[in-house]
Amino acid sequence: MALPIKYSFRNALVRWRSTLATVLGIGLVVFVFVLLQSLAAGIEKSSSNTGDKRNVMIVRKGSTAESSSLISRENLQQIRYFEEIARNEAGEAVISADVLALVSLPRRDNSGEANVLLRGVSARGMELRLQVTLVAGRWFTPGKREIVVSAKLAKRFANFDIGQSFKSGSATFTVVGWLDGQGSAFDSECWMDADECRAVFERDMYSSFLARVPDERAMSNLVARVEGDRRFKLKAESEVEYYRKQTMTAAPIKWLGGFLAVMMSVGAVFAAMNTMYAAVGARTREIGTLRVLGFRRRSVVLALLLEGALLALIGGVLGCTLAFYWNGYTTATMGFETFSEIVFQFTVTPGLVVKGLVFAVVVGIIGTLLPAIRASRLPVIEALKAI
Amino acid sequence: MTLGTFILKNALRNKRRATLSVLSVAVSLFLLVTLQVALRELMNPINDEGSSLRIIVRNKVSLAQPLPARQLQVLERIEGIAAVSPFSFYGGLYKGDEKFTSFAQFAVDPARCGPLIADAKIPKEQAEAWLADRTSCIVGKMTADRYKLKIGDRMQFTGQIYPCDLELKIAGIYQGTADDRNVMFHQAYLDESLGNPGTVGTWWVRAASIEEAPLVTDRINKAFANSSAEVRAESERAFVLGFVSMWANIKTLITGISIVVVFALLLVTVSTMSMAIRERFRELAILKALGFRRRELFAFILAESFGLAMSGALVGAGGAWLVFNNLNIQKMTNGMFILFEVTPRMLGFGMAVAAALGLLAALVPMIAVARTSVVQGLKTLD
Repeated sequence: MALPIKYSFRNALVRWRSTLATVLGIGLVVFVFVLLQSLAAGIEKSSSNTGDKRNVMIVRKGSTAESSSLISRENLQQIRYFEEIARNEAGEAVISADVLALVSLPRRDNSGEANVLLRGVSARGMELRLQVTLVAGRWFTPGKREIVVSAKLAKRFANFDIGQSFKSGSATFTVVGWLDGQGSAFDSECWMDADECRAVFERDMYSSFLARVPDERAMSNLVARVEGDRRFKLKAESEVEYYRKQTMTAAPIKWLGGFLAVMMSVGAVFAAMNTMYAAVGARTREIGTLRVLGFRRRSVVLALLLEGALLALIGGVLGCTLAFYWNGYTTATMGFETFSEIVFQFTVTPGLVVKGLVFAVVVGIIGTLLPAIRASRLPVIEALKAI
Repeated sequence: MTLGTFILKNALRNKRRATLSVLSVAVSLFLLVTLQVALRELMNPINDEGSSLRIIVRNKVSLAQPLPARQLQVLERIEGIAAVSPFSFYGGLYKGDEKFTSFAQFAVDPARCGPLIADAKIPKEQAEAWLADRTSCIVGKMTADRYKLKIGDRMQFTGQIYPCDLELKIAGIYQGTADDRNVMFHQAYLDESLGNPGTVGTWWVRAASIEEAPLVTDRINKAFANSSAEVRAESERAFVLGFVSMWANIKTLITGISIVVVFALLLVTVSTMSMAIRERFRELAILKALGFRRRELFAFILAESFGLAMSGALVGAGGAWLVFNNLNIQKMTNGMFILFEVTPRMLGFGMAVAAALGLLAALVPMIAVARTSVVQGLKTLD
């Protein structure tokens, strides 16, 4: 058993040119597959990374995202007295009413405009979102048209450096700081004073409420109470759960990745078959010799399959390595829920690497199967006669 | 035996390899063309006469910010405007859908929007019925077919953007526009359901002539400068390109993947050609010994490589053309892709890539042949 295997591998090295082409070909297929899936994984990670387990998010029933939700001010007055909501030292309910607005702003590289999500937030809202920290400059002063932008967005949009200002409609905002959301959905937001935001964008209504609850029981009670109350048309759920569901954008990317992987792997299987047929053809006499020496058909098949699988595996490792080079690289696209630019990182997860490698090996084995069977079926005498 | 048949016989000597090579080139080119088509689709190629006359007016802040309904009176007085109507994207979730509704619903003014959707063919009595009933709507034929809707049916929507749910009665079914999916209903009904906020989503304007369209755009922008709701008026084409900008890095990504596909294709073709030539190294040496010149041998190799690549291109790019022209992509992808059209330019591009590949792939074996002397070549066993 050991001899056919050793023989196979040495052969792969002798035909290094076609071996290399096969390995690289499979490597590229795996690269494209893992890269696209890592984009989808990045979107999902940034969503699942967002929120505090002790928070309850309340939005209008029917709206898909905070940004398309509207809640009246009366609702705030009613809900803030619910005893399920935690109180601070001063005895006030820990609940924040935010206003979200979409503003269309020019990109830094002048390649057009995109929507940016602007969150009008109160001091309470900042306490509820401890994930968000200031990395440069200072926080906005309430009552002023000052804005703190995400550091990651700042790299993508014009006039987002500290001290610069930009216009939206008739209002002018001054950028006073950069925030960091630690890889969460907040990395795609700009924050400003809630009341100022309402005034500038002429909003009577709030977009969402975020409330702190003392424990899990209070959470389920609050959710049940908000949803059960006939006065409201509101939907309450855990903040973590709310963000976990914001992954609609990942679906088409996953689909594209799958489609490309299937198509490219068909091409790769053809290429691998070609290489292996040539390999078997060139080695006809040697395979005959192995058979004469007493090695069984299945040993020959197995050796060739192993050769194909190993080559593919090397290709897979190469593809994953190439994809891993992009791991953590920040990119962005339009989020389907918020209709605004969402920033996220290519995220190559261990699961994706395993998927990529398995995928490569399967391609390798399918590509080798027919040539290997052919090799094992060669009549021994004929094979020995072949030049 | 002529030279042509000699080359052909050689190329087809190993039929399995020839088939596999042609197929692997074909798959890659199919993919390349598909990516091009998808990319073009993202850039939205719809460009008929109606679209060059249409101007879309949105709030300068962003598309999500509403416009005051009182702007209508100002718009109507602007010179060069043939028609104007509100177009408010309602964005409701249709009752039959679980998470995502793939057709748009627009609140319009039925009395005004006729010239703006001039392509839409609808029987006269249906149009009149729509005009008469404030709670009615017209539905694009694709949507009507998909959900098996007929005139008189009721459609229920949950408002995802607007805080109101709507029930609309189908008064008519239209077809003939670039995208026969949309539902259109009365702005007045939306206003009433919302408690008359006095706002609209966007204005759609039809310019009197193509020459005047850019002027009209300027006039609209100026008319609302320094008002409480400054606007951004732009041609429909510019408006759609704005969406492309929002897709951000997706375009770069698709272009990048196309390059990877071409590169992988190159590897495979080069490797196959090298294999094919290495197998008959001895024969080439014999030809050389018989007195064939080096450049004639080059011609053999080149012709074979080029021929294989071009056959692959014909199968792949031609296959893409056949598939996308005959399948109803609009129906299959639920309207995500509308045209999905293979243009002659893309076919040309695919062919050019294949031709370049054929040449490049011939290069390696050609160098090998050039470097080897007759004696060495004759000695080769492999």
